[in-house]
Amino acid sequence: MQIYLPIAELSMNLFFLVGIGGAVGFLSGLFGVGGGFLLTPLLIFSGVPASVAVASVTGQVVAASTSGALSYYRRGLIDLHMALYLVLSGVLGAFGGVATFQVLRAAGQLDLVISLGFLILLGFVGTLMLIEAARAIIKRRAGIVVREKLPNQHNWFHGLPWRVRFKKSRLYISVIPVLALGVAIGFVGSLLGIGGGFILVPALVYILRMPGSMVIGTSLLQVVAMMAVTTVLHAVSSQSVDILLAFCLMVGGTVGAQFGASAGKYLRGEQLRALLAILVLAVAIRFGLSLIIAPSDAYSTGVIGVGGVI
Amino acid sequence: MSGPLKAGLLALLLAGFASPAGAERLVSQVSQEEVSITSSFAGATLTLFGAIEPEAGAEQKFVEGPYHIIITVTGPLQNRVARRKTNEFGIWLNTAQVEFVEFPSFYQVLSDARLSDITNPITLAEQRIPLAKQPQAAPGVSWWDADAFGPQLVRLMEEKGLFKLNENGVVFRSDTFYFAQVALPSDAPPGPYLAHTYLFKNGNIIAEKSDGFSVRTIGFERFLGLAAHQQPLLYGLVCVVLALFTGWLGGVVFRR
Repeated sequence: MQIYLPIAELSMNLFFLVGIGGAVGFLSGLFGVGGGFLLTPLLIFSGVPASVAVASVTGQVVAASTSGALSYYRRGLIDLHMALYLVLSGVLGAFGGVATFQVLRAAGQLDLVISLGFLILLGFVGTLMLIEAARAIIKRRAGIVVREKLPNQHNWFHGLPWRVRFKKSRLYISVIPVLALGVAIGFVGSLLGIGGGFILVPALVYILRMPGSMVIGTSLLQVVAMMAVTTVLHAVSSQSVDILLAFCLMVGGTVGAQFGASAGKYLRGEQLRALLAILVLAVAIRFGLSLIIAPSDAYSTGVIGVGGVI
Repeated sequence: MSGPLKAGLLALLLAGFASPAGAERLVSQVSQEEVSITSSFAGATLTLFGAIEPEAGAEQKFVEGPYHIIITVTGPLQNRVARRKTNEFGIWLNTAQVEFVEFPSFYQVLSDARLSDITNPITLAEQRIPLAKQPQAAPGVSWWDADAFGPQLVRLMEEKGLFKLNENGVVFRSDTFYFAQVALPSDAPPGPYLAHTYLFKNGNIIAEKSDGFSVRTIGFERFLGLAAHQQPLLYGLVCVVLALFTGWLGGVVFRR
């Protein structure tokens, strides 16, 4: 069944859209990430203009993360104080990201930056995750008891000025790394149409040393807030949010996420992380190949504005 | 002299001055003046039909061929860029782009015979009929660039199915009655379209006629498209509320 997408100005198969929404939602529920990093490339590869894909996926990420964030909130597993700092700085980053998005779109380099951005980011994060997960798996096989890292180990930048006490996370650290992290996630997220959960979660664990129980919930809340702001920013500045496209993805995504979350219970943490790392790397490689393999057509075309009527 | 007779004479005189050589006129029609894009829009087919008749008030009561018809269907105009990727430092990136102004988003040429058999290339070029004559480089673009990118742009548009030359698209049902079918793809850009019909006899244009039709979204799709461009802030907020609601609902429905 074809459905006409008014902003993308093309027809797509409804079942395909709900299907990829569901498949990505399943993975996002399984791994506890937003899934934007999979959905945006999938849409671009299936013919949706990059600008519409990026802007519409932000809406889908809000939906996918909301149910998760709510359930963590009910269980009291969100550090609202930390989330507030992350969100406020994230909004600042999102403004920068959306402005950059506009400049790149006008210059015809948006596709390149999206490809490069995904390649570098996903390649880097994927590799780190894979190494970490592989070590954990090898240690478990060897019978070594893995000790959780102590949450209150401090790095040098925790001692920077403007120290704030985050009661729930039992942290007393400088807000500078927190704010820097927020800005960076906001910028990258709005530029690439990803929630940034898969960067934020390791960053909260390894950089801020946040306790593991608080990490997922706080990161989900941050993603919801950030992506909500980014959706509005994209709607206003590039007007490329396709609400029908986003809605089809949301419906598939929320349903898929529920099944993913229950499937996740059968896998151990490091196995999940290893699988996610492989997935992330696969997407990175796909983007890398599109940059280095000679394109089938060196020429491409795009509309830069309405030239008027006949 | 009575009124109607005077008017008739006047018309005869005018007709005589307007087309001294040929006494034919084109009567044409588009099957649909408005193509609606609904949620299940998967393209549309329009029929353009018409007849060649003696000019109103002409002494001649019949027309004699052979006639040829060329119809051009032009979609809304856009400014387009054509880009070229080159390999720099091992990666492929867009390094050159050329802007073309008032470039049709949709262009089809339909005829009842090969264009080269209907008339000479000069006439075709003067009327900007061939696909290759569509790109008009923006001011400031060198002819060299325009010459390199123009044909590529036309090729890309052909590959997208938006540009097409169909040399047996016009069918004569009798000596004077023709019809043609234009297929609009599902990604046909919304906006005003113009079907321009040229009547040829012995390689010369003896009559022309323009018919317009519009492709527009209606109902909900139109509402969404307008909202996105006229009330972007509200539209964005609605998107977010919808997303929050969907997420919340998903959580409630599946909560165990």
